Amino acid sequence: MTNFLSFQTLCQILVNGVLFGTMYGIAAIGMSLIFGTMQIIFIAQGAMIILAAYISFWLFTLLFVDPLLSILFVVPAFLILGGGLYQVLFRKVAYVGKNPSLLIAFGFMVLLENLMSTLWTPNTRAINTSYTAFGIPVLGLQISFTRLVAFVIAIVATIGVTLFLKKTLIGKAVRAASEDLGAAALMGIGIHWVNSITFAVGIGLAALAGITTATTYPFDPYFGFIFSLKALIAVAFGGIGSVGGAFFGGILLGVIESLGFYFLSGVWADAISYVVFLLVLMLRPEGLFSRFTRLA
Amino acid sequence: MKGNRLMGLVILGTAVFAGVPFILDSESSYVVYFLFLTFIYIILAQGWNLVAGYAGQISLGQHAFFGLGAYVTAITWLRGITGYFDPLAMIFSGLGTAILAILIGIPLLSKLRGDYFALGTLGLGEILRVIFTQGGTLTGGTVGLLLPSGVYESMKPYYFTGLGLALFATAAVYFIARSRIGLALIAIKDDELAANTNGINILKYKVLAFSIGAFLTGLGGSLQAYYLFHIHPVGFFSLKWALYPILMSIMGGTGTILGPIVGAFFLAGVFELINIWLPESHPIFSGGLIIAVMLFLPNGFIRLKIKGIFGEKGERRRR
Repeated sequence: MTNFLSFQTLCQILVNGVLFGTMYGIAAIGMSLIFGTMQIIFIAQGAMIILAAYISFWLFTLLFVDPLLSILFVVPAFLILGGGLYQVLFRKVAYVGKNPSLLIAFGFMVLLENLMSTLWTPNTRAINTSYTAFGIPVLGLQISFTRLVAFVIAIVATIGVTLFLKKTLIGKAVRAASEDLGAAALMGIGIHWVNSITFAVGIGLAALAGITTATTYPFDPYFGFIFSLKALIAVAFGGIGSVGGAFFGGILLGVIESLGFYFLSGVWADAISYVVFLLVLMLRPEGLFSRFTRLA
Repeated sequence: MKGNRLMGLVILGTAVFAGVPFILDSESSYVVYFLFLTFIYIILAQGWNLVAGYAGQISLGQHAFFGLGAYVTAITWLRGITGYFDPLAMIFSGLGTAILAILIGIPLLSKLRGDYFALGTLGLGEILRVIFTQGGTLTGGTVGLLLPSGVYESMKPYYFTGLGLALFATAAVYFIARSRIGLALIAIKDDELAANTNGINILKYKVLAFSIGAFLTGLGGSLQAYYLFHIHPVGFFSLKWALYPILMSIMGGTGTILGPIVGAFFLAGVFELINIWLPESHPIFSGGLIIAVMLFLPNGFIRLKIKGIFGEKGERRRR
């Protein structure tokens, strides 16, 4: 624990934390969007991420499709899947109360995790491309190429979603619905339609997070739940319902974990992220990056 | 459903279940084991039901209390303070978890509401698991604590303790729900602001419900500790001990007395049956089943015929 800590090591830890945190970030954006309109924690987000990771893994192993290339058609497929998922699973119970939607999300997660485990065995998988081990030296730091690509993709996705919400008419409808659902409905916004769009975007982001995760880290069918929990913490850091906040919340969580992992052991690192999470919830429930105060 | 009919139903059910170990061989029968497991789930589900169904505070951290209850029982036994099947150990477990619930509940419940509270309690469970994993010799680390299993004689005491505790939990929730406290809790669930303006000390009642729920959950953990003889952090702080009772309560109908019981029997039964017939794919069906029940019976089984035992309306979406 009392290792000599050079400035360079510290930088390396921080960089790793930021790069890892972007994964949580994109997962968290999807969760945050769905929470915004549906008011439920979509706990199956992590399972969807792992599903996307598996799809890109099989595309790579069986059809030799480069994982980065597979983004081009896996993400659109997941957009459609997400919209369909809402129509099939959530449309009916969306306004009965929160519990049914929450439980359906949970049931869906259990279903998906075990389906993947039965079909593809619970073994840990990883994608090994020709460039997986490739690292770029920047100012004496080693930065893995795949992580850097994942980082760039995450930033592009965050900007994309922000622009979508700010500039398009559909995005405006989504924002209106997450601000006040009743008023949005009175203004003629189709609520089921908006929820569908939100789900599509959320699941599309899950696909992106899944593919980039698959290129950088090993995964197994049950990894998704931990991913969901971490994304949840990131959402709380950023303030529920905020896109940029969720992304930076993810990065912050990555840095905290990375530091905790280095200075303490891996087990304590988890506890520390939860303690910080509890403190944030209690002291700044509106999120760390929010400009205005809101009561929880 | 009238109180008398409910009471009659519970007494009849208890009598039937009390007779089971005398008809079936309690040592080898799978049914006896299944019922024992179901009783534990009923205890946990009723504990959650009081907090979420009546007080409206969704807790996702019940596994923290379950695990703590188990550890208190194990540690006090290993230190020679209590013994095998010691009621004192169970009371310690219950009180220990209730005290933790009060200590945690005051800051959490005064600051957080709704989903934020749910997230906070989820964090609590995870933190406690790490603390017990890192607890050194007191908690046995990742391996956990091994209790002297040589004292095991028969399944019967487990079965009857389980039945008794399930009955106790049900009765506790029933009488609390009918008392002043219950009225205050339902008022808080329906409209916190209105309850507050009517002079209800919101924090006091929320913490009370939270700690009673934790007390019941701690009792369940204590019984499971006596049954397994091996207490380890992964098994006892598993999120399953929080999620399954929640599923059972909601499937049966939250905020009702019989709901959690019906849900526990149904879900535990389905899990076990599929486990026997389709051992490999059992969780897939469980997941599918949860989806199906929620799509077609979003308010739980018990509300199919009876619109709320206490006449309260089914859940509405609040914004």
